[in-house]
Amino acid sequence: MPEKVLTINKLSKSFGALPVLKEISLEVEKGEVVGIIGPSGSGKSTLLRCATMLETMDSGTLTYGDLTVCLEGCYADKPVLRAARNRFGLVFQNFNLFPHYSVLKNITDAPLCVQKRDRDEVMQLAHSLLAKMGLSGRENAYPCQLSGGQQQRVSIVRALMMKPEILFFDEPTSALDPELTGEILKVIRQLAEEDMTMVIVTHEINFAHDVADRIIFMADGLIVEEGLAHDLVNAPSNDRTRAFLSNIMK
Amino acid sequence: MDYQIMLTELLKGLLVSVEIFVLTLVFSLPLGLIIALGRMSGNCIIRNIFRVYISIMRGTPLMLQLLVCFFGPYYIFNVHLSSEYRFIAVILAFSLNYAAYFAEIYRGGIESIAVGQYEAARVLGYSQGQTFFKIIMPQVVKRIIPAITNEVITLVKDTSLAFSLSVLEMFTIAKQISSAHTTMIPFVVAGVFYYIFNFVVAFGMGRLEKRLNYYR
Repeated sequence: MPEKVLTINKLSKSFGALPVLKEISLEVEKGEVVGIIGPSGSGKSTLLRCATMLETMDSGTLTYGDLTVCLEGCYADKPVLRAARNRFGLVFQNFNLFPHYSVLKNITDAPLCVQKRDRDEVMQLAHSLLAKMGLSGRENAYPCQLSGGQQQRVSIVRALMMKPEILFFDEPTSALDPELTGEILKVIRQLAEEDMTMVIVTHEINFAHDVADRIIFMADGLIVEEGLAHDLVNAPSNDRTRAFLSNIMK
Repeated sequence: MDYQIMLTELLKGLLVSVEIFVLTLVFSLPLGLIIALGRMSGNCIIRNIFRVYISIMRGTPLMLQLLVCFFGPYYIFNVHLSSEYRFIAVILAFSLNYAAYFAEIYRGGIESIAVGQYEAARVLGYSQGQTFFKIIMPQVVKRIIPAITNEVITLVKDTSLAFSLSVLEMFTIAKQISSAHTTMIPFVVAGVFYYIFNFVVAFGMGRLEKRLNYYR
């Protein structure tokens, strides 16, 4: 049986009286790439924020491998939460790089000061990842000196430096010019080829179709449809999915 | 009037002014941060205590606060303090007062940092302390330097308020010499000294601002 990296069971979340997620269940296997699509306000980002513990869920269960972060709405103790944070990485829509740190410091500070890893190993990994992302020679640049695409690549490297088992992307290209979108999609595609486990919230349907194994279509806090990427995009069975896809394919 | 003596006396006074200035900054800058954190506390009682503190410190004259700090222990608690307490009262009043202003500057700076910075730090596993001191504060410092410069320059001039407790700083001495010799000159010289003092302070702060300008 394939190893489950992430298991979400019946996750619900409300903002005040407004329910944004209604009993969402989702499993992600090792090496799998899951795309999440859906209209704005459908709860995709909130789902990602609950999974990355930036938002607390009201009820349901959240598990990373053998670590149960939240069991039916009850969060585990701090050491468990800390250990779970080590299992995933998150790439933000707005990059959220630290502006006062150089590229190298941005990507090495947490591995050194939080994970307390060996300096040589961290530096070696940093340089090899930067080279892989086409950022060699920019080690000492500050985020403000980089293009949006470069900043997003740095933030992907920053997440990878933590050696996550699963990487979440929250609309990684939404803050970028169409011109720069391509370079980020290329990087994510490359990671998919290396069997990185990823969950990607995106508006780029074609990209989701290409890179994801499975696509989830969300609307109104529910998973409306879920299936193999090819099937869901080309032959959606649900009316809402069909309406959404035909709207954005126009 | 012997100008040599006048200059020496004024320079001695300037030294005391500088002392008040430096000690006030040493105490009020960290204290301001603590007050700012209290003012932003999630606990509404703590938050309101600090809100009231800031309100009082900003809403009453510094000179009055000086007098309260100096005479308070005697009138309220009937404690007799030595004459050295005069200088301590000055530092106490200045520090408590300036900390309130600095607290509001810190708060403005801290609240201006995008929530995404906290979230990025959290996902990367930084502790709350690490997030605050490594990620947030360095960005805050850069943003608040112009506002801090304003206060620091005001502080240079405010040191003359120690006059109200007869501490022998530059203004008090200028006033004494002026009365004794019926002349304006000590005031003019003191004015020049204050100006030079502030010129140096502004220059230093400008340099600091430039040094922090390595990123946008």
